[in-house]
Amino acid sequence: MAWFKKRSLLTFTVLILLVYASMRLTEFDLSKFKDFRNMIDFLSGWFPVDWSLLPDMLRDSLDTLAMAFLGSFLGLLIALPISFIAARNTSPYRSLFHFMRVALSFIRSIPEIVFGLVLLTALGLGPFPAVLAIMFHNIGVLGKLISELIEAADEGPQEAMKAVGAKNWFAFLFSVLPQIWPNVLSHYFYRFEVAIRTSLILGFIGGGGIGQRLFNDFKTFNYSSVSLDVLLIMLMVIAVDFYGSYVRSKVI
Amino acid sequence: MLKAENLSVIYPGSDKPALSNVDLSFEQGEFVCVLGQSGAGKSTLIRCMNGLQKATEGEMFWDGSPLSKIDDKQLRTVRKETGMIFQHFNLVPRLSVFQNVLTGLFGSRNNFRNAFGLFSDEEKEMARQVIGNVGLENEIGRRVENLSGGQKQRVGIARALLQQPKVFLGDEPVASLDPGTAAHIFNLLQEIHFSHNLLTIINVHDVNLAKHYATRVLALKEGKVIFDGKPEEFTDEYYHLTYNSAQKKQQFSVVSKR
Repeated sequence: MAWFKKRSLLTFTVLILLVYASMRLTEFDLSKFKDFRNMIDFLSGWFPVDWSLLPDMLRDSLDTLAMAFLGSFLGLLIALPISFIAARNTSPYRSLFHFMRVALSFIRSIPEIVFGLVLLTALGLGPFPAVLAIMFHNIGVLGKLISELIEAADEGPQEAMKAVGAKNWFAFLFSVLPQIWPNVLSHYFYRFEVAIRTSLILGFIGGGGIGQRLFNDFKTFNYSSVSLDVLLIMLMVIAVDFYGSYVRSKVI
Repeated sequence: MLKAENLSVIYPGSDKPALSNVDLSFEQGEFVCVLGQSGAGKSTLIRCMNGLQKATEGEMFWDGSPLSKIDDKQLRTVRKETGMIFQHFNLVPRLSVFQNVLTGLFGSRNNFRNAFGLFSDEEKEMARQVIGNVGLENEIGRRVENLSGGQKQRVGIARALLQQPKVFLGDEPVASLDPGTAAHIFNLLQEIHFSHNLLTIINVHDVNLAKHYATRVLALKEGKVIFDGKPEEFTDEYYHLTYNSAQKKQQFSVVSKR
């Protein structure tokens, strides 16, 4: 037991208790799978796949992709300058740094669906409120992640840029950005991928795109179309993931 | 050219001064090597010379300007005219040799042109020239992280040279290089020193390098100057004073902690 201290034994016990309590709360019970057949019946309704609506679905997928891209990209554009203010080492004032961090976690704490529901009342149904909802949430998430990258950046180049006589803010910008760029991109592409899934949920509340179609097909028991919706969503997520790794490998 | 008057630096959270009441003055044309143990105040002294470190007490004068009193703009002018190289080279990663050297011009241009990398043909030609001066003309387009330690320091030197400095500072520039490369770098620094008539001030661990290249040697111990004179006057006695006794004490304290 050379690797374990008494403390880890305590941690282990607490962990087991937590798992047990959570199982009780979530009615976690594997024996419920005896009604397994229901699921098979349900899933068999998904096939054969109905291809007739493919063109419309592709069009909706494109909407979803545009929503996710625009929302996350605008989020990145706004988060990037903010994150320099929200990083301990580059923030102009200590108080501003604390304020920005609190503001970012406040934005992050509001789920996209809440943003969506609120914006829907002003902007009506459609993809536009969904884009804004994704953007707001991503400002919070990317702002935090990028400011942490900035804090972890090597200080040497910043010092060198100050030593050649550059202004402080420019020294920070110029020495930090090249260092963190590959990681910024990988965070961004991950958030893009998450935004695709988010825009599906936002589709459920009328945000448009393939999410709304999926929801409607479900509600109208159109299971042979549901299967194609799901397939398209999977392909989209995988494609973004692949494209992200490709871009990142080019940048590093 | 450079003058320290009663200069003291105390880092926040520490009760022992990193530099205490240092009085020194340096003239154009001197090649100064600063010796001393780790923590003796060598880096602090060098970093005070271009205002990267602020004095807690006393003043550092750069060609007459008191560095703790002048405004940001004047400080940047001082820094522009002071080239500096570092132990860990402090190059901007993921940029090429050429791009890194061009950053040496940042102090003398507006930030819009800096940000978009708008350099005139003349500026680019100057950058190529200094890269040639340090012998990296064949590596000009390579990313700096793919270079060897000695090559990286050469990029650092070229960047500083492009500033057309009057003062050249080195904060342990050869401490992470092997002895052969270190000697090459010192040869280059000496050549630049004499051809540009600079004031060169360099921290170094290796006493032999200091004695071979310097025209003046300084030794620091616990924030105080304990030797200031010609290299040949830095005798074994001073060597022991600078390094030995404190080293023994340090070793002892490490052992006694166990």
